[in-house]
Amino acid sequence: MVGRRIAGRYGAFTMTHTDNSRRSYAVLALSLAIAAIFIYAGIDKLRDPLQFADSIAAFAILPAVFVNLLAFGLPPFEIASGLLLLGPRTRRVGALAIAVITVMFLVALASALLRGLTLDCGCFGPGAPSRPRMWVELGLDSVLFCGAVYVYLQSMARVSARI
Amino acid sequence: MQTSVTSIGAHDSAPLPFARNLAAQIVRDLGGVAILAVVALAAGLVINRYSSAPLPIVYRTPEQRFDAELTTLVSAPPFKIAPAATIGLDKFRSAVDAKSTLILDARPSSFFEVGHVPGAINLARDDFAHDYRKLSAVLDANRDKPIIVYCSGGDCHDSKLVANALLSLGFSDVTVFTGGWDAWSAAGLPAATGPSR
Repeated sequence: MVGRRIAGRYGAFTMTHTDNSRRSYAVLALSLAIAAIFIYAGIDKLRDPLQFADSIAAFAILPAVFVNLLAFGLPPFEIASGLLLLGPRTRRVGALAIAVITVMFLVALASALLRGLTLDCGCFGPGAPSRPRMWVELGLDSVLFCGAVYVYLQSMARVSARI
Repeated sequence: MQTSVTSIGAHDSAPLPFARNLAAQIVRDLGGVAILAVVALAAGLVINRYSSAPLPIVYRTPEQRFDAELTTLVSAPPFKIAPAATIGLDKFRSAVDAKSTLILDARPSSFFEVGHVPGAINLARDDFAHDYRKLSAVLDANRDKPIIVYCSGGDCHDSKLVANALLSLGFSDVTVFTGGWDAWSAAGLPAATGPSR
């Protein structure tokens, strides 16, 4: 949708027509993929808030006062960020929100790995605690972070290009 | 000297406004993210308030929750006892095959329903007092017989908590299968599904 519109508006007049539309398709595909992952992860966490709170507490970062508040707020935040990614106008804020929480996850996971903790990340629903899985989730989080930053920068470039 | 300064200025003039725009845009968008966070927290609090089992605002550890559960069963749980003995997969397997030992699954019921050791009964640490009352007939019949408890495996604490609680409630022979569900399913052993009896 987005790609086609931009291609239609500028395509006939610019040399980089295919390049531009290819890039906007990439942004759209990436946005859809990240949105799907976060909406799924958010809904999954809503199903068992107690389990999710235990996962957060296992990181031993937050004091007990904040653990449940994060367990309440994070699932709606993930779902809302995913939904914002879907709209062309709201995509920028959604991408930045996802960049912010993936950084949060990365810091938490990395600190847990450094402290030698073995825990269930709780990222995509509960599971058995295992260190290999923590590394996989660290890698996945890095990929999601890079994707969100790419979508953010691309969406911004588009806004400034229109002005 | 003069020329070099001008030339640096000329080179910098192109990327600088973009960097400044970028920074300003990020700050503006972070404001949006902050609003999103507040709205999400409010939504989360409302969802929790109207959920079937609302959590308290301040987190309580599994041990604290378990203590609270236990005090609904006995007025003063005699907690400081020696921890339950542990067994490995081979012994656990022969006990399961013999069908003479009561096998208890200490994981939450949602996990139990997806897959559990055949013949096991769900005595969830999460819902201990409720399950304990529900299973009182079966449990009382096994008060002096061997009982084995397991949970997810890895570093899971549920089986140890449940085993120690049973010991403190007067059960005489309670052991923990530390490998848990992970070791059982990793060994390709049969699984049963569905709710506990």
